[in-house]
This record gives sequence, structure tokens and C-alpha cells, in this order.
Amino acid sequence: MADPSSTDPIIELTGISYSYPKEQPVLKNLDFELRKGERIGLLAPNGSGKTTLFHVIMGLLPVSEGSIRIFGRKIETEKDFVWVRRKIGLLFQDADDQLFSPTVLDDVAFGPLNMGKTKKEALSISRRVLSFLGLSSFEDRITFKLSGGEKKLVSLATVLSMDPEVLLLDEPLNGLDNNTRIKLISVLKTIDVSYIIISHDIDFLLESTDAIYTLNNGRIEKDTTVYVHSHDHAHMMGNVPHQHD
Amino acid sequence: MLQEPFSVGNSFLHRTDPRFRLVSALLYSIVVAVLYGFFSLIASAVFSLALVRAAGLDGKTVLKRLALVNGFVLLFLLILPLTAGGDIFFSIGFLHIYQPGVVLALQIALKSNAIIMAFIALVSTMNFSTLGHALNSLGLPHKFVFLFILTYRYIFVIEQEYKKIWRSIKIRGFSPKTTLHCYKTYAYMIGMIFVKASARAERVYRAMRCRGFNGSFYTLAEFPSSGKNWLFLFFMLFSTFLIILMELYFYG
Amino acid sequence: MHISEGILTWPVLASGAAFAIAGTGIGLKKLKTEDIPKTAILSAAFFVASLIHVPIGPSSVHLILNGIVGILLGWAAFPAIMVALSLQALFFQYGGITTLGVNTMLMALPAVLCHFFFHPLILRNNQFLSLAAGFSGGAFSVFLSGILMAAFLVFAQREFLEVSLLVIGVHIPVMIIEGIITMFCIGFLKKVQPSLMGG
Repeated sequence: MADPSSTDPIIELTGISYSYPKEQPVLKNLDFELRKGERIGLLAPNGSGKTTLFHVIMGLLPVSEGSIRIFGRKIETEKDFVWVRRKIGLLFQDADDQLFSPTVLDDVAFGPLNMGKTKKEALSISRRVLSFLGLSSFEDRITFKLSGGEKKLVSLATVLSMDPEVLLLDEPLNGLDNNTRIKLISVLKTIDVSYIIISHDIDFLLESTDAIYTLNNGRIEKDTTVYVHSHDHAHMMGNVPHQHD
Repeated sequence: MLQEPFSVGNSFLHRTDPRFRLVSALLYSIVVAVLYGFFSLIASAVFSLALVRAAGLDGKTVLKRLALVNGFVLLFLLILPLTAGGDIFFSIGFLHIYQPGVVLALQIALKSNAIIMAFIALVSTMNFSTLGHALNSLGLPHKFVFLFILTYRYIFVIEQEYKKIWRSIKIRGFSPKTTLHCYKTYAYMIGMIFVKASARAERVYRAMRCRGFNGSFYTLAEFPSSGKNWLFLFFMLFSTFLIILMELYFYG
Repeated sequence: MHISEGILTWPVLASGAAFAIAGTGIGLKKLKTEDIPKTAILSAAFFVASLIHVPIGPSSVHLILNGIVGILLGWAAFPAIMVALSLQALFFQYGGITTLGVNTMLMALPAVLCHFFFHPLILRNNQFLSLAAGFSGGAFSVFLSGILMAAFLVFAQREFLEVSLLVIGVHIPVMIIEGIITMFCIGFLKKVQPSLMGG
């Protein structure tokens, strides 16, 4: 793999600000860059604006300030974002938001059909993606009857069927059973795309990303990459398994 | 909550093109709905029963469904004979049973059950996605079919959310009573369901835009053409026609 | 609330279907593409909410909620209600194919009227006025549905008069409960998410 820093950035955000109506800004003068081949983890507390950041990149939330360049192209209008959405795939936190069709095959083919593929092409793309994810037998399954883990993998299939060059994964491990988790990690290792993962799971981020950033006060802290370390500490009930926020 | 007990099966009816089934069910139901003669009504009830048999459906489940939907019909069966006026059929003490009322009530019971049985045999034997595709390829407006499919899909998600809210309300000691407080709780719960539903709708729409949604709606399903479908349609139309003839001959 | 198969005569069925198709056509035309998911998911919510049984004395009734449907959706209440009734026919065999038009009319017409009469009042800042409009809207739509149902029955067959009166009588307690629930629900939505009501 080429040294990421030597290539042009795929995603380049400069001075981005976003606030929800009648609320404090979530993103404040944020700068961010993703280069080809980079795999970045985003670890930050709830409500710090991680999901908002993803939705800003996809043009789902209009920014009040700042500029977005994707593959070197300045992105401003909805039409520009339509182009962006073919290049970048977003995996939503809740698979029920992503899967709306009656059957798995319908859902996976939805993206390719919107991109102007014929029915035949859309079918063959969808079957290829499903088989890549080991879901070939799922074609005619009814989406809402799938288990949580199955739903997540099918959501991933709906994103991959658009052949994105970048993936944005929002809490992909949320509510997954161990098998699906292992499968997802191995898929991420196999596919040749750059990606950003939002997760609270440090082990997962260490395993599947090259750098872990955090979001603080509406800005990405890329200079102070989070270093994972361990140290001893003591408190009551410390002998039972527990988690720290 | 929404179950499709009749959609599983491998009968001839299950395998027939859903579009042919829908169209013939609609035509047949319309004809039965306007019948008056007992000869044709009994014939159509028998024919509908034969369709249910042909679909190989579980008799008990069908009977249970019929019992549930006959509640409204029962109202007519009980009231019409007492109130319709006209010739008195017979009297029990001061209660007069009027002949026109009995006739009308029986007509309603036969019609209603004949139509429902045909619907169960021809339409409820499709699973939902098949029906969605069939409606689409029969040329219903895209927006309507899309609405239909999405509504169905999210009933399941919203039911889960409703159950969560309901559990949390019950855990806090709520018991349903006829009080203002109770109605207020129900109202807030329903309000909460709407709030969650609208947030969900916003996310679903965003996810659709991410996948290039531009208002077009596609279905992949293709219905292989087969001579048997036309044979089925012909059979249904012929039977419907026979029932019309009976009606005209004996009643018209 | 619906009329079963096999009860009405063809002129009533046909005119019900014609009006329902017209109303649904207007609703679909006014429904913007980007509002399809919202309309669908809200009508799924109504579907679920209308299966909730609320107690009334020793018995219970299920809610109809066409008042709130109308207030929130306006003309889109027509396609939304037609979809919900088709699903009920498909899964529970309530209502039916030939009565789909009539049933859509008797639920959706009051809903749309409720939108035009009460929605502007609900949006007012005066809390008393908006709650009163909520109550009236909820009660009015159920009452009007009951009246329409009775009218359809009597138009079909003069002998259905007694059944029709019974139908209206049964709807009076439901009407009051729907009024109360709609009132509180509107109050809740105005506080929690006013944008849902376009306010």
C-alpha cells in the first residue's frame, strides 16, 4: 500500500460548522482529511457529533460554514452530493433504517437500479455482493424477519452493491452477536476501500483501523491521536468485570 | 402481529400468477356482492368453499378467521328479523319475526362469507412482497405501491417500539382503568409512538437518499408467463358468468 | 371501523369506490416524493396505535384515531387510510375488497375535514384553544365516521335503519374517549415535537 500521506485526500473538510435548529453548534470549524487507503477509527462520547459528521459528508445535513471537497472536487449543491453518494457508502447505525424493501434482493438491488443499471445488471451485482458476504441463500428472505446480525450484514450488502470507494461505518458492531462480529471484521480486512468507523469498541478499532481520532468540542483532534494504553487503578467492586466511560 | 398463515402452501392456487388471482378475485367479489337470489348465493358460497379447499388451507384457521369477521354480520342476523317489517314469519310472544328481515339477513350472511372465503383462497394466499409486486405490475400508481410496501415494513418496527414503551409504563405500576389519568397516559404513549415514527422516517429517508433514491420505484419480481394462468382466469370468469346466469334465470 | 363484505348494495359500493379513488388521487398528487417515507411510517404508527385497546368501564375499545391522522397528514390521509384498510383486509379479513372504497370514505373524509377545521386552531399559541380543537377534532371525526357509516347503510337498504342507529349509539362513548386521547396527544406533540404538526 502506498504511503497514504503521499496521495491526494479523498475527503477534505475545511472549517465545517453545523448546528441543529435552536441548539448549540455540534461541529465547530472542523477540519478533516481522509486519504486513499486510510482506515480511521472515530472514538468519542455520545452526542459529540460523530453521526452528524457522517451525515454532513453525505450531504444529508446542510452545513452553515466551511467547504467540502471529495476526490478533489468542490461539493456544494444537492447534485454534487448525488455524485458523492455513489462514491461513499454510509452504513447506518440502525439497520432497520436502511432496509425498507420486502425482500433482501429487492433491497440490495435498490442502489444499483437508482444508479441507472438495468434490472439484469442490478441482479447480477446484488447476487455477487450477497455471495461475497456469504448471504447467497438470503435472496428471498423477508428483511424484517432477519435477526439483528443478519440485518446488519444485509445493510452492508446494500451499501457495497453501489461499489463505493469509501465506507463510513456508524457503530457497525452495535448489538451484533459474536459470529457476525467476526464476519464483519474479516470482511473489512478483505475489501479494498478506505473507511472511517465510529465505534466505542477499542479492541475492534485497534484491529481494523490504522489510527484512532476523537471529536472534542466540535473539532476532530487529529494531532492528539488517542493512544490506547493501560494502567492499574483501584476502586470498589473492581474485581468484577466492568467498563469505564 | 401481522401473520400470513395462508400464504404458505404449494397448491395450484398458490402457484398461479398473483395478478391473475387478484383480478379474478376482484371481479368475482363484485359479482357476488350484488346477488340476491338464494340459488346463486348458495352456489357462490359453495364455489368459494371449493376454492378454499383447492388452496389446501387449514380448515380450523379459516373457520377462526370467519368467526372473527362475522361479528358485524351477526348484528344484522340478530336485528333485521325483528325490525324489518312486512310479512310476519312467525311470532314468539310479543316478538314478531319478519320474513323480509330473515331473507335479508341470510342473504348478507351468505354473500359476506362467500366473498371472504374467495378472498382468503385467492389473495391471502400471497405473501406480502408478492402482492406488492403484483399491485405494481397491474399498474397501480407507484406512490401508492411504495406507500403500501413501506407502511407494511415499518409496522413491525413500530410494534417493537410500542412494546418497549408499554413495558416501561407497566413497570412503573400503570394499570388500565377508566380514569382521566389513564387516558392521558395512553395519549402520551401514542404521542411518543408518533414522535419516534417521525424520527425513524427522517432516518429512513436519509438512508434512501444515500442509495441514490430519486423518486423512482423498482420491483425486481418477474412473473413467468404460463398457459395455466390463462386457463385459471378463464375458469374463474366462466364460473362467475355461470353465477350471473343463475341469478338472472332464478331471480332476475 | 368498517362495514363488512356483502352488506351494501351496488350503487353505494360503486359511489364509495369512486369517491375514495378521487380522494386518494388528490392525496397522492399532493404527496411529495420526499414525504412518502414520512407518510408511510406515520400510517404504520397509526396502524399499531389503532390496535391498542383502552378501557371503558368493564370493557375496552380500540382506538380509531382518524382525527389525528387527518390533523397530521391532511389530504395524504386518504392514501394512508386506504393502505391501512387494505392491510387489515389482507391480514385480518376485516373490511374487504368490494367495501374498500366505502370504508376508506367513511374514515378518510372526516380525517381530511378535521384537518381543515381544526388544524389551524391547533397551531394557535392559545393553549386552551388548541386543546379544545384537539378534543373537538378527535370527537368530530369519530362522530362523522359513525354518521357516514349509518348513512351508507340506510342508503343501501331502508331496513338497516335500526342497525344504523345502534352503530351511532355505540360510537358516542368512543367519540368521547377519542376526543380526550386526541386532546392530550396534540398537547404532547405540541410540546415535544411541534414540527410534526407543521407548526
